[in-house]
Amino acid sequence: MTELERFEQLTAIHGSDITRWPMDEQAPARELLSHSAAAQALHNEQQALDTLLDAITIPPMPAMEKRIVRNLATASRSSLLDRVLDWIVPRGGNVSSWAWRPALVACLPLMCGIYMANFYSFGIESTENSWQEELYLISMNDYAEISE
Amino acid sequence: MHGTIFILRDCNADQFLGTNRRIIRASGLRDRILRMNDDKALMLAIQEGDSKAYESAVRQHIKALSHYAYRMLGNSKDTEDVTQEALLRLWTHANSWRADKASVSTWLHRITHNLCIDYLRKDKSNITGELNDELESKERPANVPEQDERLDALKNALEHLPERQRSAIILSHYQGFSNKEIAQVMDISVDALESILARARRGLRTQLSDLQAS
Repeated sequence: MTELERFEQLTAIHGSDITRWPMDEQAPARELLSHSAAAQALHNEQQALDTLLDAITIPPMPAMEKRIVRNLATASRSSLLDRVLDWIVPRGGNVSSWAWRPALVACLPLMCGIYMANFYSFGIESTENSWQEELYLISMNDYAEISE
Repeated sequence: MHGTIFILRDCNADQFLGTNRRIIRASGLRDRILRMNDDKALMLAIQEGDSKAYESAVRQHIKALSHYAYRMLGNSKDTEDVTQEALLRLWTHANSWRADKASVSTWLHRITHNLCIDYLRKDKSNITGELNDELESKERPANVPEQDERLDALKNALEHLPERQRSAIILSHYQGFSNKEIAQVMDISVDALESILARARRGLRTQLSDLQAS
């Protein structure tokens, strides 16, 4: 492949901006461009295309951007339950955390049940009361024996 | 504290984050790392559910992604849908990003590219048409009708380029990606991309020279 053919290939792929070409191709390309009329013609043709491409801009869309940022901010703010779950099992992406999460969630009602049973007596007197009651019953028993 | 900062300077972010997550959480170093605007630190924070890091990443990438989607789709409604969906996936699929494979920007452009292709294939009739009306020309001089004509011809030619050629030109010329990055976005080899780019530019030049000849 001649130098000019390679130059043509590179302009076709990368456009007229030689700084965007592969580093090792830049110096020989500049050298060729400085003395070859054919290379200059090819380069000018691509430059005209690039200039026209540059002229096509898109309208600013600040309202759309704001809307998206607002919607996504709402989506990313997690609920209280999510935060509790994240606290129990931090999001790590590994399989074990995903396997443990449902197991731990399933244990939550059990833990709640144990806590509630511990907190409320549900009619069962505390051991302290039982002891006092027992003493009272013993004393009753002794009194009965004396009276006989 | 000074010792920790010394560590942060002297080892790479991956090693540091891998071994010092607890220190980062406890000491507020996370904020310092986020300010470094480092892809890895930002994505790690997002993966851990940090909504502030996510909002920062959204602000960082929204313009580039919406511009790419707009140039591909040519209308604001679909652009909004695609951009929002792509950025939502940054939150929901953050774990699928791999630092060794692509930058966050390349990864997000790939998501956006795939969404755009889905949209283009789903409803081709709605996509084209608006592009010519909505795309604006920068500092278009009122007294150069020939230039206007060439610009309109180019817009029309761009609009009618095959999807892959249009995508390659947009990613290369407007989004400023290297050929390697564009190949990653489009999931093709660099050689295939270069062939697509050459065909796209040749197609556009042919349209322009046809106009000049007529």
